[in-house]
Amino acid sequence: MFQALPPEPAPVVAPAPAPGVIERSVATEGEVRVAAALTDAQVKVDSSFRGASIVLYGAVFNPSDVPADVVVVVRGPDAPVRLVKKTRNMGVWLNSRPVLFEGAPGFYMTASTRPLSDVADFGQLRRLGVGVDHLRIDAPQESRTVTRYGVRDVVVSRLGEDYLDWRRAVIRLKEAAALYNTDPDGVQFVDRGLFRAEVELPTVAPTGKYYAEVWLFQEGAPVSVSNLTLTVEKVGLERDIYEFAHRRPWSYGVLCVILAALTGYAASRVFRSR
Amino acid sequence: MDIYLPIAEVSVNWPFLVMLGALVGFVSGLFGIGGGFLMAPVLVFMGIPPTVAVASQASHVVASSTSGVIRYSGMKAVDYRIGGIMAVGGALGALAGVELFRYLRLLGQADLVVAVSYLVFLGAIGSMMLYESLTQILHRVRGETPPRKERRRPMWLYGLPFRMRFPRSGLYISAIPPFGLGVFAGILSAIMGVGGGFILVPAMLYVLRMRAGVVVGTSLFQIIITTAITTILQAGRNQTVDIVLSTILLLGGVVGAQFGARLSGRFRAEEMRAALGLIVLLVGIQMGLELFVRPSDLFLLAPGVGD
Repeated sequence: MFQALPPEPAPVVAPAPAPGVIERSVATEGEVRVAAALTDAQVKVDSSFRGASIVLYGAVFNPSDVPADVVVVVRGPDAPVRLVKKTRNMGVWLNSRPVLFEGAPGFYMTASTRPLSDVADFGQLRRLGVGVDHLRIDAPQESRTVTRYGVRDVVVSRLGEDYLDWRRAVIRLKEAAALYNTDPDGVQFVDRGLFRAEVELPTVAPTGKYYAEVWLFQEGAPVSVSNLTLTVEKVGLERDIYEFAHRRPWSYGVLCVILAALTGYAASRVFRSR
Repeated sequence: MDIYLPIAEVSVNWPFLVMLGALVGFVSGLFGIGGGFLMAPVLVFMGIPPTVAVASQASHVVASSTSGVIRYSGMKAVDYRIGGIMAVGGALGALAGVELFRYLRLLGQADLVVAVSYLVFLGAIGSMMLYESLTQILHRVRGETPPRKERRRPMWLYGLPFRMRFPRSGLYISAIPPFGLGVFAGILSAIMGVGGGFILVPAMLYVLRMRAGVVVGTSLFQIIITTAITTILQAGRNQTVDIVLSTILLLGGVVGAQFGARLSGRFRAEEMRAALGLIVLLVGIQMGLELFVRPSDLFLLAPGVGD
Protein backbone atom coordinates (compact mmCIF):
# COMPACT_ATOMS: atom_id res chain seq x y z
CA MET A 1 0.00 0.00 0.00
CA PHE A 2 2.99 2.23 0.07
CA GLN A 3 2.69 4.93 -2.50
CA ALA A 4 5.68 6.79 -3.89
CA LEU A 5 6.40 10.11 -2.22
CA PRO A 6 4.05 12.61 -3.80
CA PRO A 7 5.74 15.37 -5.77
CA GLU A 8 5.97 18.86 -4.23
CA PRO A 9 2.27 19.64 -3.87
CA ALA A 10 1.13 22.10 -6.50
CA PRO A 11 -0.79 24.98 -4.96
CA VAL A 12 -4.08 24.08 -6.50
CA VAL A 13 -7.40 23.24 -5.02
CA ALA A 14 -8.11 19.59 -4.87
CA PRO A 15 -11.38 19.27 -6.75
CA ALA A 16 -14.06 19.20 -4.13
CA PRO A 17 -14.86 15.52 -3.79
CA ALA A 18 -18.53 14.89 -4.15
CA PRO A 19 -19.29 12.63 -1.22
CA GLY A 20 -19.53 9.00 -2.07
CA VAL A 21 -18.19 9.31 -5.59
CA ILE A 22 -14.50 8.79 -5.15
CA GLU A 23 -14.56 5.69 -3.04
CA ARG A 24 -16.60 3.90 -5.63
CA SER A 25 -14.19 4.65 -8.45
CA VAL A 26 -12.31 1.54 -9.37
CA ALA A 27 -8.93 3.28 -9.59
CA THR A 28 -8.82 4.22 -5.95
CA GLU A 29 -10.41 1.17 -4.48
CA GLY A 30 -8.40 -0.36 -1.75
CA GLU A 31 -6.00 2.57 -1.63
CA VAL A 32 -5.15 4.46 1.55
CA ARG A 33 -6.46 7.95 1.00
CA VAL A 34 -7.33 11.12 2.80
CA ALA A 35 -9.99 13.61 1.73
CA ALA A 36 -10.63 16.95 3.39
CA ALA A 37 -12.60 20.17 3.05
CA LEU A 38 -12.93 23.49 4.82
CA THR A 39 -16.19 24.80 6.23
CA ASP A 40 -15.34 28.20 4.81
CA ALA A 41 -12.81 28.70 2.02
CA GLN A 42 -13.16 32.46 2.02
CA VAL A 43 -12.56 34.63 5.05
CA LYS A 44 -13.93 38.14 4.70
CA VAL A 45 -12.22 40.88 6.65
CA ASP A 46 -14.66 43.69 7.38
CA SER A 47 -15.05 46.20 10.19
CA SER A 48 -16.32 43.56 12.58
CA PHE A 49 -13.44 41.15 11.87
CA ARG A 50 -12.00 39.74 15.05
CA GLY A 51 -10.16 36.76 13.71
CA ALA A 52 -11.80 33.65 12.33
CA SER A 53 -12.10 30.03 13.26
CA ILE A 54 -12.44 27.65 10.37
CA VAL A 55 -13.11 23.97 10.71
CA LEU A 56 -11.25 21.58 8.48
CA TYR A 57 -12.88 18.20 8.32
CA GLY A 58 -11.99 15.13 6.39
CA ALA A 59 -12.08 11.41 6.08
CA VAL A 60 -9.42 8.72 6.04
CA PHE A 61 -9.96 5.63 3.89
CA ASN A 62 -7.74 3.01 5.33
CA PRO A 63 -8.48 -0.53 4.22
CA SER A 64 -5.16 -1.77 5.62
CA ASP A 65 -4.44 -2.68 9.23
CA VAL A 66 -1.61 -0.17 9.64
CA PRO A 67 -2.69 2.80 11.80
CA ALA A 68 -2.51 6.17 10.07
CA ASP A 69 -1.68 9.64 11.36
CA VAL A 70 -3.22 12.83 10.01
CA VAL A 71 -1.19 16.05 9.85
CA VAL A 72 -2.81 19.33 8.82
CA VAL A 73 -0.51 22.14 7.67
CA VAL A 74 -1.89 25.60 6.88
CA ARG A 75 0.45 28.13 5.39
CA GLY A 76 -0.27 31.81 4.73
CA PRO A 77 1.37 34.07 2.16
CA ASP A 78 5.10 34.59 2.59
CA ALA A 79 6.18 37.76 4.33
CA PRO A 80 9.84 38.64 4.83
CA VAL A 81 10.72 39.45 8.42
CA ARG A 82 13.18 42.06 9.63
CA LEU A 83 14.59 41.34 13.02
CA VAL A 84 16.84 43.28 15.35
CA LYS A 85 18.58 42.08 18.46
CA LYS A 86 18.96 44.24 21.53
CA THR A 87 22.46 44.37 22.92
CA ARG A 88 23.75 46.14 25.96
CA ASN A 89 26.31 48.87 25.33
CA MET A 90 27.53 50.83 28.31
CA GLY A 91 24.34 50.15 30.28
CA VAL A 92 22.03 51.07 27.44
CA TRP A 93 20.06 48.59 25.37
CA LEU A 94 20.63 49.28 21.70
CA ASN A 95 19.30 47.70 18.54
CA SER A 96 21.62 45.79 16.29
CA ARG A 97 21.63 46.08 12.53
CA PRO A 98 18.36 44.61 11.18
CA VAL A 99 18.59 41.18 9.57
CA LEU A 100 16.18 40.19 6.81
CA PHE A 101 14.78 36.69 7.00
CA GLU A 102 13.06 35.27 3.96
CA GLY A 103 10.81 32.31 3.48
CA ALA A 104 8.82 32.90 6.63
CA PRO A 105 5.11 32.47 5.97
CA GLY A 106 2.83 35.15 7.40
CA PHE A 107 0.77 32.40 9.00
CA TYR A 108 1.69 28.82 9.75
CA MET A 109 -0.02 26.15 11.76
CA THR A 110 0.20 22.44 12.10
CA ALA A 111 -2.29 20.19 13.78
CA SER A 112 -1.79 16.48 14.08
CA THR A 113 -3.03 13.38 15.81
CA ARG A 114 0.29 12.94 17.63
CA PRO A 115 3.36 15.11 18.14
CA LEU A 116 5.08 15.54 14.76
CA SER A 117 8.25 13.91 15.98
CA ASP A 118 6.29 10.71 16.67
CA VAL A 119 4.53 10.80 13.31
CA ALA A 120 7.63 10.84 11.15
CA ASP A 121 11.37 11.22 11.57
CA PHE A 122 13.36 14.42 11.25
CA GLY A 123 14.54 13.82 7.68
CA GLN A 124 11.10 13.05 6.39
CA LEU A 125 9.56 16.14 7.98
CA ARG A 126 12.45 18.29 6.77
CA ARG A 127 12.01 17.04 3.22
CA LEU A 128 8.28 17.76 3.23
CA GLY A 129 8.73 21.07 5.05
CA VAL A 130 6.19 20.02 7.67
CA GLY A 131 6.48 21.63 11.09
CA VAL A 132 7.64 25.02 12.29
CA ASP A 133 11.20 23.75 12.74
CA HIS A 134 11.36 22.71 9.11
CA LEU A 135 10.30 25.95 7.47
CA ARG A 136 12.85 27.22 5.01
CA ILE A 137 13.48 30.44 6.90
CA ASP A 138 16.89 31.89 6.28
CA ALA A 139 18.74 35.14 5.85
CA PRO A 140 20.17 34.99 2.33
CA GLN A 141 21.73 38.45 2.58
CA GLU A 142 23.82 37.36 5.53
CA SER A 143 25.23 34.25 3.98
CA ARG A 144 28.31 34.00 1.85
CA THR A 145 30.25 31.08 0.49
CA VAL A 146 33.79 30.37 1.59
CA THR A 147 36.32 27.68 1.09
CA ARG A 148 36.88 25.89 4.33
CA TYR A 149 39.13 22.90 4.94
CA GLY A 150 39.63 22.68 1.19
CA VAL A 151 35.90 22.37 0.56
CA ARG A 152 34.64 24.98 -1.84
CA ASP A 153 31.35 26.85 -1.60
CA VAL A 154 30.63 26.25 2.05
CA VAL A 155 27.73 28.49 3.04
CA VAL A 156 28.34 30.37 6.26
CA SER A 157 26.27 33.10 7.85
CA ARG A 158 27.65 36.39 9.02
CA LEU A 159 25.52 35.92 12.12
CA GLY A 160 27.91 33.19 13.12
CA GLU A 161 26.98 30.92 15.97
CA ASP A 162 23.98 33.07 16.89
CA TYR A 163 22.30 32.11 13.65
CA LEU A 164 20.02 29.55 15.24
CA ASP A 165 19.03 31.99 17.98
CA TRP A 166 17.97 34.48 15.34
CA ARG A 167 16.01 31.92 13.42
CA ARG A 168 14.30 30.65 16.55
CA ALA A 169 13.42 34.23 17.49
CA VAL A 170 11.53 34.66 14.20
CA ILE A 171 9.38 31.68 15.11
CA ARG A 172 9.00 32.66 18.75
CA LEU A 173 7.82 36.18 17.88
CA LYS A 174 5.35 34.85 15.34
CA GLU A 175 4.06 32.35 17.86
CA ALA A 176 3.61 35.15 20.38
CA ALA A 177 1.40 36.94 17.85
CA ALA A 178 -0.64 33.72 17.40
CA LEU A 179 0.51 33.58 13.77
CA TYR A 180 2.40 30.31 14.21
CA ASN A 181 0.89 27.45 16.05
CA THR A 182 1.71 23.82 16.61
CA ASP A 183 -1.02 21.66 18.03
CA PRO A 184 0.08 18.07 18.61
CA ASP A 185 -3.49 16.90 19.18
CA GLY A 186 -5.35 19.38 17.02
CA VAL A 187 -6.66 16.66 14.74
CA GLN A 188 -9.46 14.80 16.45
CA PHE A 189 -11.31 11.82 15.19
CA VAL A 190 -15.00 12.37 15.71
CA ASP A 191 -16.00 9.04 14.26
CA ARG A 192 -14.31 6.10 12.61
CA GLY A 193 -12.28 7.58 9.77
CA LEU A 194 -13.79 11.02 10.20
CA PHE A 195 -11.63 13.81 11.64
CA ARG A 196 -11.76 17.53 12.24
CA ALA A 197 -9.22 20.26 12.99
CA GLU A 198 -9.66 23.92 13.72
CA VAL A 199 -7.78 26.72 11.98
CA GLU A 200 -7.66 29.78 14.21
CA LEU A 201 -6.86 32.95 12.29
CA PRO A 202 -5.93 35.88 14.55
CA THR A 203 -6.93 39.45 13.67
CA VAL A 204 -3.40 40.20 12.52
CA ALA A 205 -3.42 37.32 10.02
CA PRO A 206 -2.16 38.61 6.67
CA THR A 207 -4.55 38.83 3.75
CA GLY A 208 -3.94 36.67 0.72
CA LYS A 209 -4.03 33.06 -0.31
CA TYR A 210 -3.52 30.28 2.23
CA TYR A 211 -2.63 26.72 1.36
CA ALA A 212 -3.72 23.82 3.49
CA GLU A 213 -2.17 20.38 3.16
CA VAL A 214 -3.64 17.37 4.82
CA TRP A 215 -1.06 14.59 5.03
CA LEU A 216 -1.69 11.00 5.88
CA PHE A 217 1.30 9.15 7.37
CA GLN A 218 1.71 5.46 7.85
CA GLU A 219 4.75 4.08 9.63
CA GLY A 220 6.51 7.40 9.33
CA ALA A 221 6.00 7.80 5.62
CA PRO A 222 3.51 9.99 3.78
CA VAL A 223 0.97 7.90 1.90
CA SER A 224 -1.54 10.49 0.79
CA VAL A 225 -2.06 14.23 0.67
CA SER A 226 -4.98 16.50 0.01
CA ASN A 227 -4.52 20.16 -0.94
CA LEU A 228 -6.96 22.92 -0.17
CA THR A 229 -6.88 26.69 -0.51
CA LEU A 230 -8.29 29.41 1.61
CA THR A 231 -8.40 33.11 0.85
CA VAL A 232 -8.41 35.90 3.38
CA GLU A 233 -9.44 39.20 1.86
CA LYS A 234 -10.62 42.59 2.90
CA VAL A 235 -14.14 43.38 1.74
CA GLY A 236 -16.45 46.38 1.65
CA LEU A 237 -15.39 49.67 3.14
CA GLU A 238 -12.20 48.18 4.62
CA ARG A 239 -11.05 47.15 1.18
CA ASP A 240 -11.95 50.51 -0.37
CA ILE A 241 -10.05 52.44 2.29
CA TYR A 242 -7.02 50.18 2.03
CA GLU A 243 -6.88 50.45 -1.73
CA PHE A 244 -7.44 54.20 -1.69
CA ALA A 245 -4.62 54.63 0.82
CA HIS A 246 -2.23 52.61 -1.32
CA ARG A 247 -3.22 53.69 -4.83
CA ARG A 248 -3.73 57.41 -4.23
CA PRO A 249 -1.69 57.99 -1.07
CA TRP A 250 -1.33 61.75 -1.47
CA SER A 251 -5.03 62.44 -2.05
CA TYR A 252 -5.77 60.12 0.85
CA GLY A 253 -3.49 62.14 3.14
CA VAL A 254 -5.06 65.43 2.05
CA LEU A 255 -8.51 63.96 2.66
CA CYS A 256 -7.51 62.88 6.18
CA VAL A 257 -6.32 66.38 7.01
CA ILE A 258 -9.42 68.07 5.56
CA LEU A 259 -11.64 65.69 7.49
CA ALA A 260 -9.74 66.41 10.69
CA ALA A 261 -9.82 70.18 10.23
CA LEU A 262 -13.55 70.13 9.41
CA THR A 263 -14.31 68.05 12.49
CA GLY A 264 -12.36 70.50 14.63
CA TYR A 265 -14.18 73.44 13.05
CA ALA A 266 -17.57 71.79 13.43
CA ALA A 267 -16.94 71.03 17.08
CA SER A 268 -15.97 74.60 17.85
CA ARG A 269 -19.13 75.89 16.11
CA VAL A 270 -21.33 73.47 17.99
CA PHE A 271 -19.80 74.47 21.30
CA ARG A 272 -19.90 78.20 20.62
CA SER A 273 -23.62 78.18 19.89
CA ARG A 274 -24.35 76.71 23.28
CA MET B 1 -17.61 46.92 20.53
CA ASP B 2 -14.51 46.11 18.51
CA ILE B 3 -13.73 47.54 15.14
CA TYR B 4 -11.19 46.40 12.59
CA LEU B 5 -8.73 49.06 11.41
CA PRO B 6 -8.01 48.66 7.68
CA ILE B 7 -4.47 50.07 7.64
CA ALA B 8 -3.27 49.04 11.09
CA GLU B 9 -4.80 45.58 10.43
CA VAL B 10 -5.77 44.99 14.03
CA SER B 11 -9.09 45.23 15.78
CA VAL B 12 -9.55 47.55 18.72
CA ASN B 13 -12.19 48.52 21.23
CA TRP B 14 -13.63 51.75 19.82
CA PRO B 15 -15.35 53.25 22.90
CA PHE B 16 -12.00 53.08 24.64
CA LEU B 17 -10.39 54.93 21.73
CA VAL B 18 -13.05 57.65 21.84
CA MET B 19 -12.37 58.13 25.55
CA LEU B 20 -8.62 58.19 24.95
CA GLY B 21 -9.17 60.80 22.24
CA ALA B 22 -11.33 62.87 24.57
CA LEU B 23 -8.82 62.70 27.40
CA VAL B 24 -5.87 63.67 25.23
CA GLY B 25 -7.99 66.39 23.57
CA PHE B 26 -8.82 67.74 27.02
CA VAL B 27 -5.16 67.89 28.01
CA SER B 28 -4.40 69.43 24.64
CA GLY B 29 -6.96 72.22 25.01
CA LEU B 30 -5.96 72.83 28.60
CA PHE B 31 -2.24 73.22 28.07
CA GLY B 32 -2.02 74.23 24.42
CA ILE B 33 -0.05 71.21 23.37
CA GLY B 34 -0.92 68.68 20.69
CA GLY B 35 -0.99 65.84 23.18
CA GLY B 36 0.67 63.45 20.76
CA PHE B 37 3.34 62.49 23.25
CA LEU B 38 0.60 61.11 25.51
CA MET B 39 -1.35 59.28 22.86
CA ALA B 40 1.34 57.47 20.88
CA PRO B 41 2.54 55.32 23.82
CA VAL B 42 -1.04 54.29 24.69
CA LEU B 43 -1.83 53.32 21.08
CA VAL B 44 1.33 51.26 20.82
CA PHE B 45 0.45 49.57 24.10
CA MET B 46 -2.94 48.63 22.56
CA GLY B 47 -1.15 46.71 19.85
CA ILE B 48 -1.31 49.21 17.01
CA PRO B 49 1.95 49.20 15.02
CA PRO B 50 4.06 52.20 16.16
CA THR B 51 4.41 53.63 12.66
CA VAL B 52 0.63 53.63 12.17
CA ALA B 53 0.05 55.05 15.66
CA VAL B 54 2.45 57.93 15.12
CA ALA B 55 1.07 58.80 11.68
CA SER B 56 -2.64 58.45 12.50
CA GLN B 57 -2.64 60.44 15.68
CA ALA B 58 -1.14 63.37 13.79
CA SER B 59 -4.52 63.94 12.19
CA HIS B 60 -6.16 63.79 15.61
CA VAL B 61 -3.78 66.55 16.63
CA VAL B 62 -4.90 68.57 13.59
CA ALA B 63 -8.55 68.30 14.65
CA SER B 64 -8.16 69.10 18.32
CA SER B 65 -5.76 71.96 17.56
CA THR B 66 -8.17 73.44 14.98
CA SER B 67 -10.91 73.33 17.51
CA GLY B 68 -8.59 74.95 20.07
CA VAL B 69 -7.30 77.65 17.74
CA ILE B 70 -10.79 78.75 16.76
CA ARG B 71 -11.58 79.18 20.43
CA TYR B 72 -8.40 81.09 21.23
CA SER B 73 -8.77 83.14 18.07
CA GLY B 74 -12.11 84.36 19.38
CA MET B 75 -10.25 85.58 22.48
CA LYS B 76 -7.68 87.35 20.25
CA ALA B 77 -5.05 85.05 21.68
CA VAL B 78 -3.39 83.87 18.48
CA ASP B 79 -0.46 85.69 16.90
CA TYR B 80 -0.83 84.57 13.28
CA ARG B 81 2.27 86.45 12.22
CA ILE B 82 4.85 84.73 14.39
CA GLY B 83 2.82 81.50 14.15
CA GLY B 84 3.00 81.66 10.36
CA ILE B 85 6.79 82.07 10.39
CA MET B 86 7.13 79.14 12.75
CA ALA B 87 4.78 77.11 10.54
CA VAL B 88 6.93 77.67 7.45
CA GLY B 89 9.91 76.42 9.45
CA GLY B 90 7.76 73.56 10.74
CA ALA B 91 6.83 72.49 7.23
CA LEU B 92 10.48 72.34 6.17
CA GLY B 93 11.37 70.49 9.36
CA ALA B 94 8.60 67.95 8.80
CA LEU B 95 9.83 67.27 5.26
CA ALA B 96 13.32 66.62 6.56
CA GLY B 97 12.01 64.65 9.54
CA VAL B 98 9.91 62.20 7.51
CA GLU B 99 12.92 61.41 5.31
CA LEU B 100 15.15 61.07 8.37
CA PHE B 101 12.62 58.72 9.95
CA ARG B 102 12.53 56.52 6.85
CA TYR B 103 16.29 56.29 6.92
CA LEU B 104 16.36 55.43 10.64
CA ARG B 105 13.75 52.72 10.09
CA LEU B 106 15.93 51.21 7.41
CA LEU B 107 18.83 51.15 9.85
CA GLY B 108 16.57 49.60 12.49
CA GLN B 109 17.39 52.44 14.85
CA ALA B 110 14.05 54.24 14.79
CA ASP B 111 12.89 53.10 18.23
CA LEU B 112 16.24 53.98 19.77
CA VAL B 113 16.05 57.53 18.43
CA VAL B 114 12.41 57.83 19.50
CA ALA B 115 13.20 56.62 23.02
CA VAL B 116 16.23 58.89 23.37
CA SER B 117 14.34 61.92 22.08
CA TYR B 118 11.48 61.27 24.48
CA LEU B 119 13.84 60.87 27.39
CA VAL B 120 16.05 63.86 26.60
CA PHE B 121 13.46 66.40 25.47
CA LEU B 122 10.55 65.45 27.69
CA GLY B 123 12.81 64.81 30.66
CA ALA B 124 14.68 68.12 30.37
CA ILE B 125 11.66 70.27 29.64
CA GLY B 126 9.48 68.52 32.20
CA SER B 127 11.95 68.98 35.02
CA MET B 128 12.66 72.59 34.06
CA MET B 129 8.99 73.49 34.03
CA LEU B 130 8.32 71.60 37.23
CA TYR B 131 11.22 73.26 39.04
CA GLU B 132 10.34 76.76 37.85
CA SER B 133 6.64 76.53 38.63
CA LEU B 134 7.13 74.81 42.00
CA THR B 135 9.47 77.57 43.17
CA GLN B 136 6.85 80.13 42.19
CA ILE B 137 4.10 78.22 43.98
CA LEU B 138 6.28 77.84 47.08
CA HIS B 139 6.98 81.57 47.14
CA ARG B 140 3.29 82.34 46.91
CA VAL B 141 2.35 79.87 49.64
CA ARG B 142 4.97 81.25 52.02
CA GLY B 143 3.82 84.75 51.21
CA GLU B 144 7.27 85.83 50.12
CA THR B 145 7.69 88.25 47.31
CA PRO B 146 9.05 86.35 44.34
CA PRO B 147 12.59 87.32 43.46
CA ARG B 148 12.81 89.89 40.72
CA LYS B 149 12.70 87.96 37.50
CA GLU B 150 15.17 88.48 34.69
CA ARG B 151 12.75 89.98 32.21
CA ARG B 152 15.33 90.65 29.56
CA ARG B 153 15.44 88.48 26.49
CA PRO B 154 18.74 87.01 25.42
CA MET B 155 20.66 89.68 23.57
CA TRP B 156 21.29 87.55 20.50
CA LEU B 157 17.63 87.81 19.64
CA TYR B 158 18.27 91.43 18.78
CA GLY B 159 21.56 90.99 16.99
CA LEU B 160 20.11 88.96 14.13
CA PRO B 161 18.86 90.35 10.82
CA PHE B 162 15.26 90.34 9.46
CA ARG B 163 13.70 92.06 12.43
CA MET B 164 9.93 92.10 12.44
CA ARG B 165 7.22 93.51 14.62
CA PHE B 166 4.84 91.09 16.29
CA PRO B 167 2.33 93.37 18.01
CA ARG B 168 0.15 90.68 19.52
CA SER B 169 3.11 89.02 21.19
CA GLY B 170 4.66 92.33 22.17
CA LEU B 171 7.87 91.52 20.31
CA TYR B 172 10.18 93.26 17.91
CA ILE B 173 12.76 90.62 17.06
CA SER B 174 14.43 88.86 14.18
CA ALA B 175 12.36 86.29 12.28
CA ILE B 176 15.19 83.74 12.47
CA PRO B 177 14.64 82.37 16.03
CA PRO B 178 10.92 81.61 15.53
CA PHE B 179 11.73 80.11 12.14
CA GLY B 180 14.45 77.91 13.62
CA LEU B 181 12.13 76.90 16.43
CA GLY B 182 9.59 75.86 13.80
CA VAL B 183 12.12 73.72 11.92
CA PHE B 184 13.08 71.99 15.14
CA ALA B 185 9.44 71.32 16.08
CA GLY B 186 8.78 69.98 12.58
CA ILE B 187 11.59 67.44 12.77
CA LEU B 188 10.39 66.28 16.19
CA SER B 189 6.85 66.09 14.87
CA ALA B 190 7.86 63.56 12.24
CA ILE B 191 10.13 61.50 14.47
CA MET B 192 8.19 61.45 17.72
CA GLY B 193 4.73 61.82 16.21
CA VAL B 194 4.07 64.87 18.32
CA GLY B 195 3.12 68.41 17.42
CA GLY B 196 6.10 69.82 19.25
CA GLY B 197 3.92 71.95 21.51
CA PHE B 198 5.75 70.85 24.63
CA ILE B 199 8.95 72.30 23.14
CA LEU B 200 7.34 75.36 21.58
CA VAL B 201 5.38 76.53 24.61
CA PRO B 202 8.37 76.74 26.98
CA ALA B 203 10.62 78.14 24.24
CA MET B 204 8.13 80.85 23.42
CA LEU B 205 7.71 81.64 27.10
CA TYR B 206 11.28 81.53 28.32
CA VAL B 207 13.43 82.26 25.27
CA LEU B 208 11.34 84.57 23.12
CA ARG B 209 9.43 85.83 26.16
CA MET B 210 6.22 86.27 24.24
CA ARG B 211 3.19 87.66 26.01
CA ALA B 212 1.93 84.69 28.02
CA GLY B 213 -1.68 85.08 26.88
CA VAL B 214 -0.94 84.40 23.23
CA VAL B 215 1.54 81.55 23.67
CA VAL B 216 -0.96 78.68 23.82
CA GLY B 217 -3.10 79.82 20.88
CA THR B 218 -0.09 80.55 18.69
CA SER B 219 1.54 77.24 19.51
CA LEU B 220 -1.69 75.41 18.56
CA PHE B 221 -1.84 77.34 15.29
CA GLN B 222 1.70 76.32 14.41
CA ILE B 223 0.94 72.72 15.40
CA ILE B 224 -2.02 72.52 12.98
CA ILE B 225 0.15 73.41 10.01
CA THR B 226 3.08 71.21 10.97
CA THR B 227 0.99 68.13 11.76
CA ALA B 228 -1.21 68.59 8.68
CA ILE B 229 1.92 68.44 6.54
CA THR B 230 3.28 65.50 8.53
CA THR B 231 0.00 63.60 8.02
CA ILE B 232 0.05 64.15 4.26
CA LEU B 233 3.71 63.16 4.04
CA GLN B 234 3.23 60.03 6.16
CA ALA B 235 0.24 59.00 4.04
CA GLY B 236 2.01 59.74 0.78
CA ARG B 237 5.42 58.30 1.57
CA ASN B 238 4.74 55.53 4.06
CA GLN B 239 0.98 54.74 3.74
CA THR B 240 0.71 54.52 7.48
CA VAL B 241 -2.28 56.81 8.17
CA ASP B 242 -5.35 54.89 9.28
CA ILE B 243 -8.37 57.08 8.62
CA VAL B 244 -10.68 54.90 10.71
CA LEU B 245 -8.36 55.10 13.71
CA SER B 246 -7.86 58.85 13.40
CA THR B 247 -11.59 59.49 12.92
CA ILE B 248 -12.45 57.58 16.08
CA LEU B 249 -9.75 59.43 18.01
CA LEU B 250 -10.71 62.85 16.77
CA LEU B 251 -14.42 62.43 17.54
CA GLY B 252 -13.50 62.33 21.20
CA GLY B 253 -10.62 64.73 20.75
CA VAL B 254 -12.52 67.76 19.48
CA VAL B 255 -15.02 67.58 22.33
CA GLY B 256 -12.30 67.13 24.92
CA ALA B 257 -10.32 70.03 23.48
CA GLN B 258 -13.28 72.38 23.87
CA PHE B 259 -13.71 71.52 27.53
CA GLY B 260 -9.98 71.82 28.08
CA ALA B 261 -9.77 75.24 26.48
CA ARG B 262 -12.75 76.41 28.57
CA LEU B 263 -11.22 75.20 31.78
CA SER B 264 -7.74 76.57 31.15
CA GLY B 265 -8.74 80.09 32.25
CA ARG B 266 -9.71 78.87 35.72
CA PHE B 267 -6.29 77.85 36.95
CA ARG B 268 -3.25 79.84 37.91
CA ALA B 269 -0.56 79.83 35.24
CA GLU B 270 2.13 78.33 37.49
CA GLU B 271 -0.16 75.54 38.66
CA MET B 272 -0.87 74.66 35.04
CA ARG B 273 2.82 74.66 34.26
CA ALA B 274 3.57 72.46 37.25
CA ALA B 275 0.94 69.93 36.16
CA LEU B 276 2.12 69.93 32.56
CA GLY B 277 5.75 69.66 33.68
CA LEU B 278 4.89 66.62 35.78
CA ILE B 279 3.04 64.88 32.94
CA VAL B 280 5.83 65.61 30.48
CA LEU B 281 8.49 64.36 32.88
CA LEU B 282 6.62 61.13 33.66
CA VAL B 283 6.05 60.28 30.01
CA GLY B 284 9.70 61.02 29.25
CA ILE B 285 10.91 58.72 32.02
CA GLN B 286 8.46 56.00 31.06
CA MET B 287 9.59 56.05 27.43
CA GLY B 288 13.26 56.30 28.37
CA LEU B 289 13.10 53.34 30.74
CA GLU B 290 13.20 50.90 27.85
CA LEU B 291 16.77 51.97 27.22
CA PHE B 292 17.89 50.69 30.60
CA VAL B 293 15.57 47.85 31.52
CA ARG B 294 16.53 44.43 30.26
CA PRO B 295 14.00 43.61 27.53
CA SER B 296 11.87 40.49 28.04
CA ASP B 297 12.84 39.31 24.57
CA LEU B 298 16.22 40.23 23.14
CA PHE B 299 14.89 39.97 19.61
CA LEU B 300 12.17 42.08 18.12
CA LEU B 301 10.58 42.62 14.77
CA ALA B 302 11.70 45.73 12.96
CA PRO B 303 9.00 47.57 11.04
CA GLY B 304 9.26 48.49 7.39
CA VAL B 305 9.38 45.12 5.68
CA GLY B 306 9.36 44.95 1.95
CA ASP B 307 8.48 48.58 1.39
